[in-house]
Amino acid sequence: MAGTVIGEGLTIEGEVVTEEEVVVNGTVRGTLSSADAVSVGAGGVVEADIQASALSVAGQVTGNVNAQDRIDIQAGGRLVGDVKAARLTIADGASFKGNVDMEV
Amino acid sequence: MNGSIIGKTTQIRGNVRGTGPVEVEGRVEGDVSTDSSVVLAEGAVVRGNVSGTTLRIAGTVAGDLTASEALLLEPGARVVGDLVAPRIGVAEGALVKGAVRTEGMAAAPRAMSRPSAARRVEPTAKEAPPRAERATPPAKPAERAAASPASSPSAAKRRSRPSQQTAAKPPPTPPAKRFARKPPPPVVPALAKGTRGRKKKAKRK
Repeated sequence: MAGTVIGEGLTIEGEVVTEEEVVVNGTVRGTLSSADAVSVGAGGVVEADIQASALSVAGQVTGNVNAQDRIDIQAGGRLVGDVKAARLTIADGASFKGNVDMEV
Repeated sequence: MNGSIIGKTTQIRGNVRGTGPVEVEGRVEGDVSTDSSVVLAEGAVVRGNVSGTTLRIAGTVAGDLTASEALLLEPGARVVGDLVAPRIGVAEGALVKGAVRTEGMAAAPRAMSRPSAARRVEPTAKEAPPRAERATPPAKPAERAAASPASSPSAAKRRSRPSQQTAAKPPPTPPAKRFARKPPPPVVPALAKGTRGRKKKAKRK
């Protein structure tokens, strides 16, 4: 069970800082920072810079992403922004626009 | 699952608004508002206004609380701000600093005010008997001991009443009230009924 859930219909405008897993099915505008994984559900909208250990995108993300471990853009997911991560997967049917930095 | 949870280690600087139930376990520096219920768990801190249909607060709030249905402060809750809701409950151990107003929907507060008014009356009724004891002559306690094991309160009343008539009648509430565990009915009619009945019996004999 995720520590923090932004449910459908809920909007957070501002800064979110946490040490636990975050599931976004609603909307976050501002910045989102987690020491654990962040997943954006199919109905989730994030217009924020994201800092996380891992990011999974099935919804919409607009902003720069910095992940310690990995970023997964799933089918139907949409990510606009620069990403920095050790590993990156973009599923068939996902859309992505931005630069990738994999620290080669 | 549709609800939202702001986890224990989560800090939000900004407003949280929208639809669906919200549970806050962490810290929010901003307003929390939803069209559904809001739960502030123990350890949760909100610096801002909180509004929803029903609020259950066990954490700390520096801001106003507004509920369209009910507002419950649980033990350990600390609130600095105003409380506005049709129904407001404050548990023992909850701290409140601010104005409290029960307003909103008309039907709910009226239904709630009746039992609370009855509760307010009860303590005064309980307080009254000791005063009466002090006023009555010292012969009373022995008689009370005889009357207390009686099976029915009405029997106790019958036993105690003759002495009451002989004794001085300074207390406005009769000492017989002590034996009635139920909330006391209007005093005067009960007295009149009993005395009449006794008079009739005496006439028959």
